[in-house]
Amino acid sequence: MTNWHQLVEDHAKRTGQADLPSATVAELAAHLEDLYAAARADGTSDADARQLALDALAEAPLADLARRARRRPDSRPGATAPEPASSLWTGLVGEFRHALRQMKRAPSFAAIAVVTLGLGAGAATAIFSIVDAVLLRPLPFHEPDRLVTIWDANPERSLPRERISPVNFMDYRTIAAFDDAAAWWRPEVNLAEPDKDPVRVDTIETSANLFHMLGVSPQLGSGFPIEDTLHNRERMAIISDRFWRQQYDADPAIVGKTINAMDGPPYTIVGVMPPGFHFPDEVDLWLRLQWDLTRHSRAAHFMEGVARLKRGVDADAAARELSALTSRLATDYAATNAGWTAHLTPLLDDMLGYYRPALIVLMGAVAVLLLTACINVASLLLARAGARGREMAIRAALGASRGRLVRQMLVESLLLAAGGTLAGAIGAMAILNIALASMPVAIPRMANAGLDVRLLAFAALVTAGTAILFGLVPALIVSRTRAAEALKESGRSSTSARSRVWNRALVVAEVALASMALVASALLVQSVARMMESPIGIVPDGVVTTDLQMEVRAGVEGWNVIEQQYANLLESLRRQPGVESAGLTNALPLTIGWRLAFGIVGRIAPSHDEQVQAMFVSAGDGYFETMGARLVAGRLFDARDRHDTEPVMIINETMARRFFGDSDPIGQQISSLARQVGPLGRNLAGPVPHRVIGIIADIQQAPIGQAAEPVVYHTTRQFPFAAMAIAMRGPDASRLADAVRAAVKETNPTLALGDIETMEARLKDAAAEPRLLMFVLTAFAILTGLLAALGVYGLLAWVVNERRRELAIRLALGAKPAGLARLVTGQGLVLSIAGVAIGLVAAQALGGVLDDVLFQTRTSDPGAAFTAGALLVTAALAACAAPAIRAARVEPSEGLRD
Amino acid sequence: MGRTSIDEAKKGSAEILILALLDEREATGRHGYEIGQLIETRTNGTLRFTLTSLYSTLYRLEDRGWIRGRWVEKAGTRRRRYYRITDLGRRMLAAQREEWSRFFVALDQAASLGIKA
Repeated sequence: MTNWHQLVEDHAKRTGQADLPSATVAELAAHLEDLYAAARADGTSDADARQLALDALAEAPLADLARRARRRPDSRPGATAPEPASSLWTGLVGEFRHALRQMKRAPSFAAIAVVTLGLGAGAATAIFSIVDAVLLRPLPFHEPDRLVTIWDANPERSLPRERISPVNFMDYRTIAAFDDAAAWWRPEVNLAEPDKDPVRVDTIETSANLFHMLGVSPQLGSGFPIEDTLHNRERMAIISDRFWRQQYDADPAIVGKTINAMDGPPYTIVGVMPPGFHFPDEVDLWLRLQWDLTRHSRAAHFMEGVARLKRGVDADAAARELSALTSRLATDYAATNAGWTAHLTPLLDDMLGYYRPALIVLMGAVAVLLLTACINVASLLLARAGARGREMAIRAALGASRGRLVRQMLVESLLLAAGGTLAGAIGAMAILNIALASMPVAIPRMANAGLDVRLLAFAALVTAGTAILFGLVPALIVSRTRAAEALKESGRSSTSARSRVWNRALVVAEVALASMALVASALLVQSVARMMESPIGIVPDGVVTTDLQMEVRAGVEGWNVIEQQYANLLESLRRQPGVESAGLTNALPLTIGWRLAFGIVGRIAPSHDEQVQAMFVSAGDGYFETMGARLVAGRLFDARDRHDTEPVMIINETMARRFFGDSDPIGQQISSLARQVGPLGRNLAGPVPHRVIGIIADIQQAPIGQAAEPVVYHTTRQFPFAAMAIAMRGPDASRLADAVRAAVKETNPTLALGDIETMEARLKDAAAEPRLLMFVLTAFAILTGLLAALGVYGLLAWVVNERRRELAIRLALGAKPAGLARLVTGQGLVLSIAGVAIGLVAAQALGGVLDDVLFQTRTSDPGAAFTAGALLVTAALAACAAPAIRAARVEPSEGLRD
Repeated sequence: MGRTSIDEAKKGSAEILILALLDEREATGRHGYEIGQLIETRTNGTLRFTLTSLYSTLYRLEDRGWIRGRWVEKAGTRRRRYYRITDLGRRMLAAQREEWSRFFVALDQAASLGIKA
């Protein structure tokens, strides 16, 4: 028996290839043995057959073979399976190399997957970080969960949230559910230090117990002393850390010094609050309440209040007790309290206002985006699973164990997930920084938002989970199918068909999610547009406004001085170049005036009956002309109406309709009963009848969306305020700003001007919050829509590739290329329309979430649904284009390959 | 045609022949001796491999990932290395087949025009 193995080794040694790998030696030996055996079987003699084999060996120069053989993986003959017996570590390194090679082979796949995962994780993390900072972190007060704000409401008059009246507050304060309650109002305060420019300061005059109740102490000084009464005539002030630094250079000896306000004697500073404390919103100056809350009016709703619930008492129980009290008050003081209720809101919800529902909606949008991103990656991975499945089958056939295949796919998925997480972290930081830097409106507590690593980990977990789950599909397909089968079916396998069904379902889901997001954003766009279009009774183009405050002097003569100063200012202003008209008011459009009871001489006796109440606004001559308000009947104020002539009024159309009916209001007389309503002006001291001289079309004074109210306009000459707003009209806004500065300089250089703003900007500000939500939501919706379109594209591109052969055969059988393109486009269209339909139905079902952020827009609005559907179908059609073109360009010969 | 060109052509044809033979039996594959024998019989001895050229070609194809070898031990026989075509190999085979058929068409046309190939 010949030792062929030995023969080959000897030959190798002789020809200088002693290191020929033993696997090759074994292979050659087997070959020679076969050669010998075949010759013997043909009847060749043993010696000849042996010589034949030896000749074959001799003519083989082994050098080239040895070089190639040494490069082969299984150069050791012992291993029956080609798996190198490697350590886990070197195995993993190999898998990573393989995975990287796979990614390089399909870079666009890897890029799309990483960007999609990053987008989803990044946006989710950024928004969650903001939501966490704004909504979820507790307020920096002692046991903030027990703090509630108190608001009055009058459902009958559709006033859902009104300030409280001081006398009612003193009753509310006594209910058992409260530990304590504090109230404040917002006076206009100008500080006038002798050697400094006058400054306007955001100020509240508050009951002395506020800080104690919140559980926050000043960083300097002892604050307001706790006394039996909530007020004290001794003037005391607390300032914010910001104000202390800006105005007093952080003077450590500030406590005990005084602040000079224009409204009277100086205030003694008794405290500096810690940095960041500006309760209730952006306040820098807290004055101690100087007057008795009980000695005011139950009808005057101008105060805000906060209460601390007793420990263990929940807000509902407190609300029930308060409700019992308000119904008692409504009976006992029917004239002022009938129809009025009060309600409690958790302090945090109240501070957030519109942003709470907005952030919840936004979080929903982010969840939709994250889900879409996950579905997208899942469908991408599934689409590849068909191709990868065949590769896996081959590897399995070559002896790779199931475990090894799963490990390989796991490593590939992990690599994708890691890339996605990295992209997500970068994306989250970018989005967060952009959001913080470019936020056009102040969202409470938002400045505290920082990238939260836990949240990033959460988002990364979700996306990585998706990548891993769906990345394993090819390996699982192989585990379930016999390798040979997978190889034989090669691309037309049942597994491929199965994953195609799944893939379609995923794409439909994606489109459905995107259409939900688009419906929501379309609704918001519509809502904001409606807000901007809603009639407010003026022509805002070309109007610029600002506000200022004159120094208050005691007595009637003081008011005459103020009136004269304003008259001088206006006269100077109207002379400035670029000014067409100018006028004064104490309440610009979208600003609420004083709501007061009144009587109509000869028809309605003046009383405190709440039902006969109107908003009182002071507006000077020139104001209505400047605002472009429409005079319905009678005349506007002019120079004839002075403090020493007959008191006059202009009423709005709602007032005329509601209280005069068919009779002509012009010439009739209205009197107001208001007393003690602050620095209101001399003519309100008693029920002085005012003659109605004109009717003006309604100007919206309440926030956009609230029903029109009866409004009475006095002339500023008869009803002056120290703090007034100036409205000017002219062709050029910047010249108007210069004009008002020049007029102030000319007539009263010590006056502090407020912000100079166009009326249009003010109107935009009124819709700033929904507008912001609209922009962010639209951005998310567009992203989601793009992802969905990408999903449609991915699916179709894959289908066209898979069905190349079928398309080629159709072409060979006479189909037109355009027909093939239509076929593919039709498929994409059917899927997107199905997705849109499901999405629109789901949007209807879930639309209630949006109710709190929409203005005069219903979630069932067909326009929004149509817009969203049309946009998505268009995007899907665009996504069909490339695969359709590819289908039309299939060569008939492609059907013959493979 | 110079001698080297013929060698190149032979080399190329050897590759396509090996791929085609392995494609015929993709499930089990074939071992080296069988491949050599089949090529020799099917080309009526026109193409004959030396040991070195046969295994060099196999190793080269394996290097490129067109085929994969695997040691198999069947009951009662010696362990042999069986080669099977890979997915990539199958694609290369298809491409080469097309190229060759185009080449033959071109040759036919050239011949009908009276040009001696």
